[in-house]
Amino acid sequence: MINSAQPSPRGNGLSRIWTLASATLTQLLRMKVLAFIGVFCVIAVAFGFAFPVQNAEQQLNLLKGGSFGALQLFSMVIAIVSTAILLPRDLEDRTLYTILSKPVPRHQYLLGKYLGVMTLIGIGLALMDGIFSGILYLRENMVFASEMASLKANRMDGPEEVAALEALVQTHGLTWSVHAGVLAVFLKAAVIAAMALMISCFSSSTLYTIVISFFLVIIGHGQELAREFFFQPHLSVTGQKIAALVLSILVPDLGMFDITDNIIAGQSVPIEALGWILGTAAMYVSAYLVVAHLLFVEKEL
Amino acid sequence: MPTDAVNVSNLTKIFRGHIGRAPFVAVKDLSLTVKEGEVYGLIGPNGSGKSTTMKVVLGLLAPTQGATSIFGCDSREVESRQAVGFLPENPYFYKHLTGEETLQFYGRLCGLKGAALKDRTREMLVLTDLENAANRRVAGYSKGMLQRLGLAQALIHDPRLVVLDEPTAGVDPAGSRKIRDLILSFKERGLTVLVTSHLLEQMQEVCDRVGIMAHGVMVREGRLDELIAVENQTELVLENATPAMLEKLRALVAQEGASISHIGQPRTTLERLFLEATEEKPAADKKSA
Repeated sequence: MINSAQPSPRGNGLSRIWTLASATLTQLLRMKVLAFIGVFCVIAVAFGFAFPVQNAEQQLNLLKGGSFGALQLFSMVIAIVSTAILLPRDLEDRTLYTILSKPVPRHQYLLGKYLGVMTLIGIGLALMDGIFSGILYLRENMVFASEMASLKANRMDGPEEVAALEALVQTHGLTWSVHAGVLAVFLKAAVIAAMALMISCFSSSTLYTIVISFFLVIIGHGQELAREFFFQPHLSVTGQKIAALVLSILVPDLGMFDITDNIIAGQSVPIEALGWILGTAAMYVSAYLVVAHLLFVEKEL
Repeated sequence: MPTDAVNVSNLTKIFRGHIGRAPFVAVKDLSLTVKEGEVYGLIGPNGSGKSTTMKVVLGLLAPTQGATSIFGCDSREVESRQAVGFLPENPYFYKHLTGEETLQFYGRLCGLKGAALKDRTREMLVLTDLENAANRRVAGYSKGMLQRLGLAQALIHDPRLVVLDEPTAGVDPAGSRKIRDLILSFKERGLTVLVTSHLLEQMQEVCDRVGIMAHGVMVREGRLDELIAVENQTELVLENATPAMLEKLRALVAQEGASISHIGQPRTTLERLFLEATEEKPAADKKSA
């Protein structure tokens, strides 16, 4: 018999998840996680301005390559480390007891924690995308101006040459594909964080979660190779083939999120490709969160 | 017929052993009930199964056998936790939050919002004497303040049952007294309390009924006054008795065939002495006052 005057535990699911997410976000922010953005600025400026002058394409590609590398590193490290520390810390501090002894279903607790980490990564990537875009735009204009000056000095500033230069700078400069690349980085981080959360539901320590997650991330980037090996028609069912199949099922194919190389090379991202990445990420995240819930609901606290 | 606040029926909890280790039986065929409005003390040595029983009641652990319920609702159901507030042993909270933010966090988890949340938070800060520390980060709280904050979060959603695991562990006598007074105030307000503590003297002061656990089983259970009464003895405390009157009493007792086990002056408790001494103003202050 529950007091009917009290709020229903079922009616406040979203608000409860957001309460947990915002507490997680504040917790991580107070750990000065976003200090990485300062490091990112230094990296982006260094790749944009500190290297010897090369041709226009190389200069812009170098800036994009360095910046995307830093974005990937930030999102992967935060996705694994932040997720790995959340559950053990709450358990160690007994905060988990006070939370779960309230009318909080365990899946809402997990979703809240996950959403908190993803909000942090989202804010971090959005800020870094803004800084990256600003520097790239600035560099694009500087490169165009310097190349134009060079063309004029060599008396090669005819309409065709100028148009070719404009096209080159636009292709390798700031395009919407750069933002699509950042979105792909975010989606990859979402999959990694969901996987780390699942591991932390059965792991015995933070270190274990971090090591196993990094190990699976490395395998995930070579997952395509495992899949190709499995589908080789001349191979019979062997231990290796079974291992390849298990890896293909358990480990996410992180290689499919790596569209940044194409963007760095100046290619644009078709909307269909982005939709495919989005759908795959949603599938992986849902699957990992469901398994995480099944493990966590059985966890003895 | 009123529903029991807590019902534990034939509870057995076995923890699976890790590789090479045997399973551990933490609680064995335990049954107990806590009536609505009473203060029930669960006592026993370390490892006797008290905390495990509490965790099963709160749905934090699943029973291996048997069942537990809170106001008739199975403990495994999330709904059962709407009626219960829990203070774990040595609680810690998110260090980055202030006391007020901590209570608001727990209030929101219980579905409170807006003015109701604000009012309830303020009320709990006053109740636990934390108004002056409301805007301080929890990281700077003393042990006693953390314990009182723990009590405040347990009460934030106005539960009908409060479960307290060692509520005075590591707290100084004054803080411990405050917590004991709070438990007594819960009793006056009609709340049901399930409490464990190693401080048996305090348990004796607040509990209506107690259960004594050892090695995962209940060894004694009942109303406290009945359990601790020595059946063949009667206590008589006299004020201003003269030696002559005591002599007469002795003679009368001997004449009736009974015997006097002890004659002496009743003693205050060390706790009371400590509190009187530490709450007393220094002589200089008294003069200036």
